[in-house]
Amino acid sequence: MSSDARKQVESIRGRVDEVENHLIDELRAGRINRREFVRRGSVLGMSLSTLGVIVAGCARPDVAKVSPPQTKPPKPGGTIRAGIVAPAAAIDPIKISDEGGLAVLAMTGQFLVFSDRHLVLHPVIATSWTHNHDGSVWTFKIRRGVRFTDGTAMSAEDVAATFNRLADPKVGSNSLSTFAGVLSKGNTQALDPETVRFKLDAPNGNFPHIVSSDNYNAIILPRDYSGNWQSTFIGTGPWKLQNFTPEVGVTYVRNPHYWGPPAVADTSELKFYAQEQAAVLGLQGNQVDVLPHYSVAGGRALLTDPAIRTTQFHSAAYREIHLRCDKEPFTDKRVRQAMALLADRRGMVEGLLATKSDYGNDSPFAPIYPSTVKSVAQRQRDVAKAKELLSAAGKSGGFSVPVNTSNDFELPDLAQVLQDNVLVAGIRLNITVSDLGTYYGSSTFGTSPWLDSVVGITDYGHRGVPNVTLDATLTTKGPWNAAHFRNPTYDKLVASYIAALDLHAQRRYARQIQELLLDESPLIIPYFYYFLTGAHNNISGEYSTAMGQVDVSRAGAV
Amino acid sequence: MARFIGKRLALGLITLFLLSIFVFFGSQVLPGDVGRRVLGPFATPGAVKALNHQLGTDRSVISQYLSWIGGFLHGDLGKSVTGQSVSGIVGPALLKSAALALLAFIIVVPLAIAGGVFAALHEGRLSDRFISVGGLSATSVPDFVWAVLLILVFALWIGVLPATAQAPPGAGFFTQVEYLILPALCLVFVLFGYIARMARAGTIEALDADYSRTALIKGLPYRSVVFKHVLRNSLLPTIAVVATQVGYLIGGLVAIELVFNYQGIGQALFRAAQQKDFPVLESAVLIVGIVYLVATLLADIAYSVLNPRIRYGSET
Repeated sequence: MSSDARKQVESIRGRVDEVENHLIDELRAGRINRREFVRRGSVLGMSLSTLGVIVAGCARPDVAKVSPPQTKPPKPGGTIRAGIVAPAAAIDPIKISDEGGLAVLAMTGQFLVFSDRHLVLHPVIATSWTHNHDGSVWTFKIRRGVRFTDGTAMSAEDVAATFNRLADPKVGSNSLSTFAGVLSKGNTQALDPETVRFKLDAPNGNFPHIVSSDNYNAIILPRDYSGNWQSTFIGTGPWKLQNFTPEVGVTYVRNPHYWGPPAVADTSELKFYAQEQAAVLGLQGNQVDVLPHYSVAGGRALLTDPAIRTTQFHSAAYREIHLRCDKEPFTDKRVRQAMALLADRRGMVEGLLATKSDYGNDSPFAPIYPSTVKSVAQRQRDVAKAKELLSAAGKSGGFSVPVNTSNDFELPDLAQVLQDNVLVAGIRLNITVSDLGTYYGSSTFGTSPWLDSVVGITDYGHRGVPNVTLDATLTTKGPWNAAHFRNPTYDKLVASYIAALDLHAQRRYARQIQELLLDESPLIIPYFYYFLTGAHNNISGEYSTAMGQVDVSRAGAV
Repeated sequence: MARFIGKRLALGLITLFLLSIFVFFGSQVLPGDVGRRVLGPFATPGAVKALNHQLGTDRSVISQYLSWIGGFLHGDLGKSVTGQSVSGIVGPALLKSAALALLAFIIVVPLAIAGGVFAALHEGRLSDRFISVGGLSATSVPDFVWAVLLILVFALWIGVLPATAQAPPGAGFFTQVEYLILPALCLVFVLFGYIARMARAGTIEALDADYSRTALIKGLPYRSVVFKHVLRNSLLPTIAVVATQVGYLIGGLVAIELVFNYQGIGQALFRAAQQKDFPVLESAVLIVGIVYLVATLLADIAYSVLNPRIRYGSET
C-alpha cells in the first residue's frame, strides 16, 4: 500500500465508529474479501466512494475474478420491451406480493436504498444513513430535488408517511411480516425535510436492507396517497406511465421530472404473459427484448439459444424440505439427519437445475450472504452413515411417510428425486402435489398442508438478509415454522444474530446457527438457485435483481 | 316455430340459472381464500382478514350470491380482485375470443365441408383415405401441441409469423389477422377432421338414399343431384356439429390462448380460477354459457328450417 493510500484509509478510520473500524480490520486481515467488505460496509451506511478508497488502500486482490459481459453501450432512443408474468392481483404497492406486480412497481417507483445483485446497498432516495451505538435507531438523509411523476416535490414527510403506512396493522400491508418486531407504526419520523429517523422495536444490524428494494412494498409514495395506484403509477423513478391495459401490459415514457439521468430509450414496455412458457416463446419470437426472470424448469430452451444472452447470478432463493420434529418418525433427530444425508444434492442441482445453483447446507444461510460461514462442512450424500443412523434409531427397516408440495416450478420433480434418493434406505415417500392455493391453505397452523404436513417442500424467494427466514421458519413462535422446530438455544442465537451490528459478531452467531441446524436437521435445503435473465444479443444495459425487479432505464439496442 | 323457440328459450334459462348456482357455489369450495391468494402465503393473518373485509368475501355465501346474481341481472358484473370492473375484463376478452373463433370458422368450415364431401364422392379411393385418416390424426393431436409445433416452425425457425397472438396496440386490421393466423391454424387442425368426417358420413348416407337414386334414374345429371338433393340433406348433422364447437371456441381455448399469450376469455377464465378472482370467474362462465346457449338455439332453428320433420315433430 502506498503512503498516500495509507493516509487516506487512516483519515477515514478516524471519522468512522468502532463497528466500521472493525470491518476494515477484517478486510485487512483477509478474513473477508473485497465484495463482502463493500456489501457489509454499504449496510452500515459507508458511502461507495469511501468503500472504494478503503478497498484500494488495504484489500488483498480477490483470487477469482469474473469478467464483465462484453456488451456495447446502447444507442439512445427507441423502445425497450420486457416480458413478465402478469401481476396476480391489483397493482397496489401496499398489498402486492407477486413477482409480476413488483416488477411493475419498480418501473416508476423507487426505494430509499437499492440492493443490487451482490447485496450491495446503493443510495437512491436516501443519500446516506447512520445508526446509533446498538443499531436501534437509524437515520437516513433524503435526496434533495426529487419529484414525483406528477411533478410534486418529495420530502422526508413522504418517506415517513410511506413507512408508517406500511407498518400500520389497520392498513394490512404485505410488509407487516417483515416489520414484525422491527418497526412499528409511528416510529418513523421526519426530523426535517431531508432527514428521517427510524426508532426500531429492537436493535437490527441489517435494517437498511429492510427499507431497501429487498422489501418490494417499500416504494416511496406521496404522504396523501389514498390508493388506486393503477390509475397513476405514481413514483419517483425514470419512467412515467403512458398507457396501462390490464392483462396486456404497460407502456412508459421518460419521466420529465426525474432527478437522475434520463432513460436511454424513449419509451419502454412491460408485456404481460399468463405463463412463463409463453414469455419464453415471446423472447425467442422477438416479441420482447428482455425476460427479467426465467426458471430452468420453464426456460431450459433459452440456455442453449444462440440468439439469447443469459445473465445468471447468485440468489438466496431456495426450496425448503421440512421434517416435522414433533411427528413420528422425525421426533428422533437421527432420522432427520439420515433423511438429509440421503438427499443427493449434486443429482438435484445437475438434473433439475442444469447446474444453475449453489449447494445448500440445510440452513437459510445462502452462500451469497456475507455472514454465512463457508468453512462449516458441507453436508454430502452418505448412504452408509444414513443407514447407520436409521438402525440406531430403530428404523433399519425403513418407513412410509407422506410428502406434500405444490405444482410450482420444479417442486414436483424435486419431490420425486427425493423419493428416489431415500428409497435406498427403505424410506417410502407418498407424494401429494396440489395447486398453490391448496398447499398453502389459510397459511395458519391447523388449516394448511404447508404448515401441517409431516414432510413438505416449499418455495422461498430471495431475501437480501436471512433475518425473516431464520426467524419465521424456525423459531418457536415462527409463523412459518412448518418443521415445528422448538429449540430455545436456536431462538436466542437468532435474536443475537439479528441484533448484531458488526460482521464478525454476525458470523460468530451464524456459525453456531449453521452447526446447530446441521445437527438438529429440521430442514433440508438442497440448493439456492441462480436467478436467470434472458435478453437478445443486440440489447445491453438491462439490470434485474433476484427480487424480480428490472431496470431498463439504461438499456437499449446496441 | 314460435312455440319451438319459446320452449328452447325456457329450457335455456333454467339451464343458466342452474349454471349460476353451480358455478358460484363450486367456486366457493376451492381451497384457500381470496385475501390469502392476493397477499400471498407469507402475509400476516391480520392483513388477510382486512383485505377479505375490504373485498366483501367475508360475508355469508348466500349474501354474496344474491348480490352477485342481482348485479348480473342489472348488468353490473362487479369488480375483479385486480381492481378492474369485471365487464372491462370479460367484454374485451369475449370479443377477442370471438375474433379468433370467427377467423378459424371462416377457414375451417368451408375447407372441412369441401374435404368431407370430396372424400364421400371418392369413397374408398386414396384421396378419401388421405382426408379421413389425415383429418382424424390432426384432430387427435391436442391443440396445445399444435400450438407449440406451429410456433416452432413458423415463428422461430422460418420466422414468417409472430409467436404470439396479441397484436401491438394500435395495430391495423391486417396486422391483427396476421397475429391470429397461427392460433387459427391450430383450431383448423383440431376441428377439420371432426367436421369433415360428419360431412363425409352425411354425404355418403344421402348418396345412398332413395331420393338420390330416383333422381339419378330419372336422368338428372350427377352434379345436379349432388348440389340440389345430396348436400341439403347431408349437411344437417354438420350444422349441429359446427354449432356445438362454438362453446369450445368461446371459452374452451385455454391452452391455445395461454401458449399464444392471447387475452381471450379462455385465458381470463384460467387466470381467474388460478387467482380465485371469483367475480370474473363466475361472470365469465355464465356469459360463456349464454353464448353456448344462443349458438345452440340458432343451430336448432337452422336445423328445423332445413329439416321440417324436427319442426313438425316438436309441435305434435
